[in-house]
Amino acid sequence: MAYPQNTSDSERSSLSDQSVSSRSFNRSLRVAEKKRRKDTAEDPFFLALKYFSDVEAGTPVTGNDELERNLVLVEKVAHSKGLSPEAISIMLEFAMSLRMGNSPCVRVLKCLIPASLVPQDAIVRGVVWLCVGKIPIATQVLFIKWVLTIFDLVDAKDQLRAIYGFIFSFITEENLCPFICHLLYLLTRKENVRVFRVRKLLELQSKLGRQPFLIHLLSLYKVFCPELVTLSIPSRMKSGFRNHNSTWKSVLTGVQKRNGFHIPSSVAFTIKDKTSSRKRKHCHLELPALTSVANKEAQTEQFSSKKVVPLVQLHSFSQLLENLHCIELPAQMGSLLGSTLALHYLDCVQDESALLRLNFWLGYAFHEEFLFCGDGGTTQNSEEALQFLNKLLSAQHFLQEGFSSSESFLYKFLKVWDGSLLCPQILALLSNIPVVPSSQIGTILFEPLMQLFLTSSLFFKCGLMECLNNMLLKWLTWHSVYALEDDLDISLNSHTSINMTLSGFKDSVMELVHFVGRLASVGLQLEGCHALLLSFILDFYETVCDTFQKYGLPLVIVPPPGVFYPALFATDPVSVDRLAYIMYRYKVNLMSAKSQEKLTKQAFHISRQTFCEFNQSLVVMVNCLWNSKMFNPGMAVQLGDELLLKSNVPQYWASFDLIHHPAFMSYAVDFHQKCWPERQDMDLSSIKHSKPWSWYLEYLFTQGYEGLKHFFQTNISQQMTAGDGQSNTQQK
Amino acid sequence: MEQHQKSVARTPPTSTIAQRKSKSIGYRQSYHSCLSATSRLGLTSALTVRRLNTTRRTPKSHNITDKVNPEHLSLLVKTEWQLSYVTPLYQFRHTQLRSYSRQLSAFIAAEKQQGLAVEVEGLHSSFRVLFSVVQGLSESDDDPETVLIQIHSKPLFGKQDEPQKPIWSGWLTCINGNSEYLRSLPEDFTCLPLFGSNGSEDLTSAVKSWFKQTFDCCFGPLEISNTNLQWLVALWTNCHREYDIQYLKMIWTLPVVPPLQVSYTVNSTDAWDLWNSVRQEMRAGEDEAENVNSIDIEEVIHFFEGLKNHFYRHFRLDLSGGSLNHISSALGSAKLSGRIKIAYSRYMITTLTLLTECALLKMPV
Repeated sequence: MAYPQNTSDSERSSLSDQSVSSRSFNRSLRVAEKKRRKDTAEDPFFLALKYFSDVEAGTPVTGNDELERNLVLVEKVAHSKGLSPEAISIMLEFAMSLRMGNSPCVRVLKCLIPASLVPQDAIVRGVVWLCVGKIPIATQVLFIKWVLTIFDLVDAKDQLRAIYGFIFSFITEENLCPFICHLLYLLTRKENVRVFRVRKLLELQSKLGRQPFLIHLLSLYKVFCPELVTLSIPSRMKSGFRNHNSTWKSVLTGVQKRNGFHIPSSVAFTIKDKTSSRKRKHCHLELPALTSVANKEAQTEQFSSKKVVPLVQLHSFSQLLENLHCIELPAQMGSLLGSTLALHYLDCVQDESALLRLNFWLGYAFHEEFLFCGDGGTTQNSEEALQFLNKLLSAQHFLQEGFSSSESFLYKFLKVWDGSLLCPQILALLSNIPVVPSSQIGTILFEPLMQLFLTSSLFFKCGLMECLNNMLLKWLTWHSVYALEDDLDISLNSHTSINMTLSGFKDSVMELVHFVGRLASVGLQLEGCHALLLSFILDFYETVCDTFQKYGLPLVIVPPPGVFYPALFATDPVSVDRLAYIMYRYKVNLMSAKSQEKLTKQAFHISRQTFCEFNQSLVVMVNCLWNSKMFNPGMAVQLGDELLLKSNVPQYWASFDLIHHPAFMSYAVDFHQKCWPERQDMDLSSIKHSKPWSWYLEYLFTQGYEGLKHFFQTNISQQMTAGDGQSNTQQK
Repeated sequence: MEQHQKSVARTPPTSTIAQRKSKSIGYRQSYHSCLSATSRLGLTSALTVRRLNTTRRTPKSHNITDKVNPEHLSLLVKTEWQLSYVTPLYQFRHTQLRSYSRQLSAFIAAEKQQGLAVEVEGLHSSFRVLFSVVQGLSESDDDPETVLIQIHSKPLFGKQDEPQKPIWSGWLTCINGNSEYLRSLPEDFTCLPLFGSNGSEDLTSAVKSWFKQTFDCCFGPLEISNTNLQWLVALWTNCHREYDIQYLKMIWTLPVVPPLQVSYTVNSTDAWDLWNSVRQEMRAGEDEAENVNSIDIEEVIHFFEGLKNHFYRHFRLDLSGGSLNHISSALGSAKLSGRIKIAYSRYMITTLTLLTECALLKMPV
């Protein structure tokens, strides 16, 4: 499909000088006059121009040294600096009037290299001379080719459009036809497309056959008026006209570069996929082409007074903005997904039917590709499916929203998914689903996910954790946006029963967090507390611990023991540090919730249970890492004294403090060596004395353990001596 | 699978319907609108699942000849149709059929000669398309009228004055479509979910692509599943009371190497006797009058068990391992691949109702 490419002309910028340029031809003489008076030294180039503007018709060419001298001069200037708009007007007028016959005319046309812009007037006058009909056909072709080459430099196009009909009449001239078609292609507006012109083109088509230039022009007509003409373009047909004169073009770019003048190049926003020639049995994943609505009669009743611009005709973001109020949606909504420009527009589409159309198409594609396909095997490793999903994901990412058809598809697909087919894409789609009511979340989401989680590899487990974290993040972000707008007015909405209230939303989030807690506990057990899985799980809890502070959701859920202890006793210091950070954020959230509760009486209530659980974890952590009171009575993890004695671990109560913790032991050793380099025997317990202990902590903090630092600063008071940490950590 | 779902679950609960029908809500306007299980890009809740009906009314003989133009009727019966499902048509107007005829014929002409533009208004095309409404072929008030499409063309080497011959025909219909679903669609949409076509593949795909481009809809193949074939057998057998179905032929494929095809033909009276006994057995303790007009999935299953047992007794071959591919009787025939032929118009409403239901089940939204 070819699109009009002329739209990026410099029309708007030059509208102001239009009045100037329209008179430029007459004025050029006056300007030149003035310039002559000013310039004391006579400019030979100016004299040359004066010669061409004044020369009498019928002056002999052969043996005319003056002509030769002036022409060479103009040629030299043209090729080095390019010609000014006035010079272009004068030279074109000289050439097209054939005042000195055809041969200088051709020479002049060949050297008409504009330095900056080309006055529209000059071209209109050129077309007028064409109508006189004295010019040999080859020269006419040359002229039109020249116009096509410099088309983007023409200062305005309104008058050219006004003589569309005149230009169209040249189409019957066989040699001119390809070039005229191209020119018309660049000029055509909707109002130019008329039945009689369509008929003429069709008549030509029947005479000349399927010529690409005719097809391109007709396809443009079809874009504007699909009700007049229809056409299917074979896939092998090359797009674009190839009428530019390459030598002109290269000289032109050279001159323009030297002059520092930038040719506005037309940037088409549409992403055109290389349609693969590979035949495929199913084609439901192909995005439909962006086409305008053919069947206008049905709709025009309501829009008849309104001017509409089909989306196909827009090629830049600025055009989109200008026409935003009157854009006509394409015939097939699915086509919007293929173009970034269209996605911009989709973001502001409010029309319910349009979105439903899109969802119908998308749902259809999903169902046919992944659910209804009987032969199964075709979807495996399908490159096309991958591209389709990636495109959809980038669209959803752009819109920051999921499509409902992909949501409903996922609920069905999760039940039959093997967990490996297009795994990253499916998980990414899943993370986009909107909030699911808590009454249904178990059956449609948790059951299939639990099954997949328990039966698949470590990497899938990590992927699913990441997906659920993203899902939660999106839900919380939605909440923070909408809760702000509605000012937390959570009265139950009566007219739609599944509308969600704040408490409903809270329930859903709670279900999700508890579900992930269960998954994480089991997953860590199954995978032997794998550090990678633990890291993804801690990612999730980094989101969870901040629900109140960051997203304004009055909900605090502490991690289950199945997550807390593996993180606390992890062998890598990073996990322990992250746990410390998470606990610190929990504390900040709980404190601020508590203070708010005091401030406004009706603020949400955090259950005692939550505080208890949190405090218990906190006490364990402080006792374990700081106080070396590992198995103190009253803590969550308790072991009988005899059993501990039997284990023969010396000072078992200190085996998980920051010195003896497997994750930090190497730091303790390092610190010990730095502190007492002369000491022969290593006694790590000596770090425990109050001074080296605080140095050791400082040392750990400088190693980048910010989490521990925050945790230390909020939970352990400055006058801390080993032993009174517990009382400081208790919530009031 | 479906047959064990005892619940008479019809299409989505009213709540979600109300949701979609509710007028469009502005983007980022409301907390409620966002967090209700729908989002802006999704107007329906994805949480509902449509299921196949487990109970159906017994087929009634319709005096369809009184309602429907016999000319149209003769076009619909005795032809084998390849079925597809179609998502709702956007901006389809029954009043614009004349214009559609013109556009489609131009479109086909353009498709046939790739790269050659065709004038839409010119009526000298080699293809003549005729859209028409089949008046009276609809059951409930919500059903949109059936649309018939015929394509005529001159034979390639025909004489100059030879009349154009029909080379392709197809129809779009909706009989007893789930009214909740139909009403939930915005007004711009016309739901004619069942598409039948007869003619060359090329023309079928041309017609489909024209519909896709013009009404922004999608076409997908509609198979008639095992369960639905069994339903059809039961429904047809039940007609025997009023109309002699003559025979009941079923073709099974058994997954053995080499594949075994079993063609099983039952005398109509035998089938009827079996069906009757199943009905009586199932209805033993129930109120006769209340249930005589409905058939339950259990009865269909029992009927088929009876048929299979009979076969096993004679040939020691258990058909439940195979799949039912093809059924036929004097009322018509149906194939797993989605081909259907209706031979007797008086019961066609029943068949089309079942097929409409199948097509609606395929709707993605």
